[in-house]
Amino acid sequence: MTDMTATTAGVAAASPGRSLVRLLEAAGPLLALILLMLIGTVTSDSFLGAENLSNVFTRSAIIGIIAVGATFVITAGGLDLSVGSLSALVAGMTIMFMNSAAATLGDGWLLVIAGIAFSLAIGAFAGFINGFMIVKGRVEAFIVTLGAMGIFRSVITWLADGGSISLDFSLRDTARPIYYGQVFGIAVPIIVLAVIAVVGELTLRRMRFGRHVAAIGSNRHVAFYSAIPVSRVRILTYVIQGLCVAIATVIYVPRLGAATPSTGLMWELEAIAAVIIGGTALSGGFGRIWGTIVGVLILGFISNILNLTGFISPYLNGAFQGAIIIIAVLLQRDRSQG
Amino acid sequence: MLNKLKSLIAAGAVAVAGLASPALAADAVIGVSIPAATHGWTGGLNYHTKRTIDRMKEAFPNIDFVLATSSSATQQVNDIEDLMARNINALVVLPFESDPLTEPVKAAKAKGVFIATVDRGLAEEGIEDLYVGGDNPQYGKAAAEYFKKKFPDGGKIVVMRGIPTAIDNIRIEAFNEALKGTKIEVLDMQYANWNPDKGFEVMQDYLQRFPQIDGVWAGDDDAALGAIEAIKQADRKNVTVLGGSGMNKVIKLVQDGHDMVDADIFYPPTLIIPAIELVTMKFATQAPINGRYVLGSPLITKDNAAEYYFPDAPY
Amino acid sequence: MSLLSFREVAKTYGVVPVLKGIDLAIEPGEVLALVGENGAGKSTLMRIAAGLADASAGTMLLDGAAAPATLQAAERAGIVMVHQEFCLAPHLTVAENVFLGREITRGLFTDRKAMETKARGLLAELGSAAPVRARLRDLPVSDWQMIELAKAFARQPKLILMDEPTAVLSATEAGNLFARIRAFRESGGSVIFTSHRLDEVKAIADRVAVLRDGQIVRVEATSDISEDEMAEAMVGRPLAEIYPPRRGMAKRKVLLSVAGLAAPGSVDDVSLDIREGEVLGISGLVGSGRTELFEALLGLRPAKCRSFVLRGEERKLPEAREAWALKLAYLTEDRKGKGLLLGKSLDQNVALTKGAITGSSWIDRRAERRDLETAVERYDIRTGRLDVTAGALSGGNQQKVLIAKTLGVEPDLIVFDEPTRGVDIGAKQQIYEIIAQLAAAGKAIVVISSEMQEIVGLSDRVLVMRRGRIAGELSGEAISENDIIRFAMGLEETSPQEEAPH
Repeated sequence: MTDMTATTAGVAAASPGRSLVRLLEAAGPLLALILLMLIGTVTSDSFLGAENLSNVFTRSAIIGIIAVGATFVITAGGLDLSVGSLSALVAGMTIMFMNSAAATLGDGWLLVIAGIAFSLAIGAFAGFINGFMIVKGRVEAFIVTLGAMGIFRSVITWLADGGSISLDFSLRDTARPIYYGQVFGIAVPIIVLAVIAVVGELTLRRMRFGRHVAAIGSNRHVAFYSAIPVSRVRILTYVIQGLCVAIATVIYVPRLGAATPSTGLMWELEAIAAVIIGGTALSGGFGRIWGTIVGVLILGFISNILNLTGFISPYLNGAFQGAIIIIAVLLQRDRSQG
Repeated sequence: MLNKLKSLIAAGAVAVAGLASPALAADAVIGVSIPAATHGWTGGLNYHTKRTIDRMKEAFPNIDFVLATSSSATQQVNDIEDLMARNINALVVLPFESDPLTEPVKAAKAKGVFIATVDRGLAEEGIEDLYVGGDNPQYGKAAAEYFKKKFPDGGKIVVMRGIPTAIDNIRIEAFNEALKGTKIEVLDMQYANWNPDKGFEVMQDYLQRFPQIDGVWAGDDDAALGAIEAIKQADRKNVTVLGGSGMNKVIKLVQDGHDMVDADIFYPPTLIIPAIELVTMKFATQAPINGRYVLGSPLITKDNAAEYYFPDAPY
Repeated sequence: MSLLSFREVAKTYGVVPVLKGIDLAIEPGEVLALVGENGAGKSTLMRIAAGLADASAGTMLLDGAAAPATLQAAERAGIVMVHQEFCLAPHLTVAENVFLGREITRGLFTDRKAMETKARGLLAELGSAAPVRARLRDLPVSDWQMIELAKAFARQPKLILMDEPTAVLSATEAGNLFARIRAFRESGGSVIFTSHRLDEVKAIADRVAVLRDGQIVRVEATSDISEDEMAEAMVGRPLAEIYPPRRGMAKRKVLLSVAGLAAPGSVDDVSLDIREGEVLGISGLVGSGRTELFEALLGLRPAKCRSFVLRGEERKLPEAREAWALKLAYLTEDRKGKGLLLGKSLDQNVALTKGAITGSSWIDRRAERRDLETAVERYDIRTGRLDVTAGALSGGNQQKVLIAKTLGVEPDLIVFDEPTRGVDIGAKQQIYEIIAQLAAAGKAIVVISSEMQEIVGLSDRVLVMRRGRIAGELSGEAISENDIIRFAMGLEETSPQEEAPH
């Protein structure tokens, strides 16, 4: 019976009407973004200014880099709720490291590089622990990362005595350019985001690893029966997420020069929302990095437009955001077949 | 989610603390229920609470303390019930929100527990025996007066609101009230949730939107720090920034002289200290204590900054 | 008057005509079989009868009046469909599933006891002992089919529509089903069923209608038509021998030899040899451990063994990836759940295993496309376009894609698990041809199958399993259905160790 309907479905797929629908599907997030930008242009004079756009892109880079990592995790069928708390932890510990290492390494670029290396190490390690518990420990990803979320946040709150952890003033100036600097007129965070997005997209689409990630998310059994190293790949996606968190944190810290108790709050939800808006299926099997980037920008522009215009009561900001997210997702078809 | 886990840890801490009580029977058990350290101010609150409890324990070993921190009003209701189950003699509570906490505190009072409320009152009058609070209306007024003095001939200011709560409403109301009839123009009020990252973003967008901004009231010092960075990045001059709450970092800026910040409003988390001390005294020394103590929220300027500066505290 | 009749019924999906001018009538108390290749229109006709689809033209009459056009109306009128792809709820119990949607109530509450008693009765009539309180997901797939059937009978139908009802049943269970169908027919009920198993059609149906390209090409009483004639009518051309000719019994080299293989819960102390150029058939009742044995052998489930000798060298039992790298391949019986990524493209599917073992880090899309084109040619994979998803193909073509994928790594041993389940006669023949060619080229082939004919037709040597152990071994001319069944049922016990030469 299914054979019959399967063939007709296959035949139906050939007709030109369907490929147009498919194209619209794929372009969904992009259309939503363009629509949003139109709304912004119409409602505010300052929206399309170079400075405003640069501000929003730069601010979005932090969530954006985290969301690229999340795209890998979700495409493989997993989930990581701990990214926000991990950012806080990495930020706090890196600042503490740099403050204490300044004595031996000086306060120049060598210290900054050491700080970056330290961040990456912590991020990768935390990602590995998450991945190991989920894959080898066979505990649900939701549960493990929920627990990790609480643990990471508690540890940094304890290390900070409930307060903020700040970079020593002398170090702030050295680190400042990471967020505020520009290369050829483009803010550094935007460049970093672009590079990571390109690398991510190529890996997910064109490299063996990316294919394995999608296969595992699509049907883990099939992947196992097809000689794919399922456990190894799944753990790696969490390590990648951890590394992305670390990179995002490295960019975040120089902005305020401190890690505060509100650092990373809700970042996991924003990152996951961006991934979903962008078209990656929450159930796994299909990932779209460029879609994630579009999703991040959509979220960034929403709050930007709300700030730039006065006509929506600030009480309703949350409702506006929620509505846009739901609309963006409705514009896409259900990809859980993938 | 995070909150649930934190409460779990908090509840666990309470349980462990209970298990670890000394064998000798205490003369009194004092329960303390405060919000968890979700942002700078509450971080400081927790810090000072723990230090005060430790100090009191040392000074009066025959008094027991049980501390519960909660991250939501509903969680706090549960915590108070748990504290009641431990037969506390007194309750020092900083209510998350006045309305939902009124019934449980009233129930505790009915069972003979001595009630001390801190920073916020309850929905009904007369339940608490002791109130130690900040003056939220004065907070808003002080901010308004500051800008009135700064810009006697009028000026354009933007405002950042805090976490949507009763406190924020009271402050903003008082602020708006005090500005009535002046030539100060409030360009917009958006929520920055007393959060430095949000303060940064909102300030960036304000700067895009309004070519002229004379002053910023960021709501509190956390958001002010974010606003300062944004203004620095945009290279805008002659913008005055006012925060609030007396964070040591900002007070230092005031002390040392800063081109944007020259004042702060005192509203520290240290107000928990006298509350705990007074309640401890009542049970340790049998001295009757009750009443309302409203600590003022004066403006901190360079002249008096040294008084309010605590470099070692986390807030 | 006929119970159900089709008059000039036609159906088109979009621009594609799937049924053209069907005239067919079923009498009360009759069992009618629908046979045809995949794509011939059998399932569509069934769906129209069940009320799941509308005819694009023509009329359907039930007892002389217009037939019901929706599923609910059809069920109320006494037409019940038993689905091939199970419409059951895994988390509910057997009894709850049998009465799904038609729960027996006592006042406001469901009467659990009554449902359980009735369900037990219905299942007993089908010869099934499935425990009525057990949750569906804890039971094997053959039980599910029985429960699906019990569900149909619970609705006291006049006409039952069944799609491939014996696909997952063992011989005994199929026998029980046929007995029940006969009883149903005696009481005046009618059955229309589709099947690829022409021997079953001969056994149970009164009449058979052969569909080809959306039209009925022959309708006969089953006593008047042979299986070969049925197959020829389906395909439209004379059939050569379905099974490739048997080759001689040359002395063949042992590729792989395992002793004391055990997997907890399913395989118990199995020792066997697999030889190059030989087709080794594995038979046994459903649940005897055939699939589990070879999954255990090739690292797909936890297992241990006393010894594992591959190409003359002793080594430990390989893990899944290792097995592939050692050129040992397993082709799963579950092509939709474990074999192919239904949502992904064909070239990706074909390249998946090869890429995982020997592929470079960078994907060469053009090479994959070329490989797909070669595979389509070599295995006659019928698909209109090359860029469709695997889920869009028919069962037979999906199976060929799976074969192409498995052979992509050029293995020396290939285990085919139920290679022709749900596959039409034309594709079946092609798959047998492929197997024969591989054996002739010196590969070691293992075929696990529940179709006795297939085992007898293909194998040089047969191992029969029973309860996780090898119950018997037959070679060459000695292979017969009878002996296989006797071993499978435990009616003849021969110690396999004495038979297998080492």
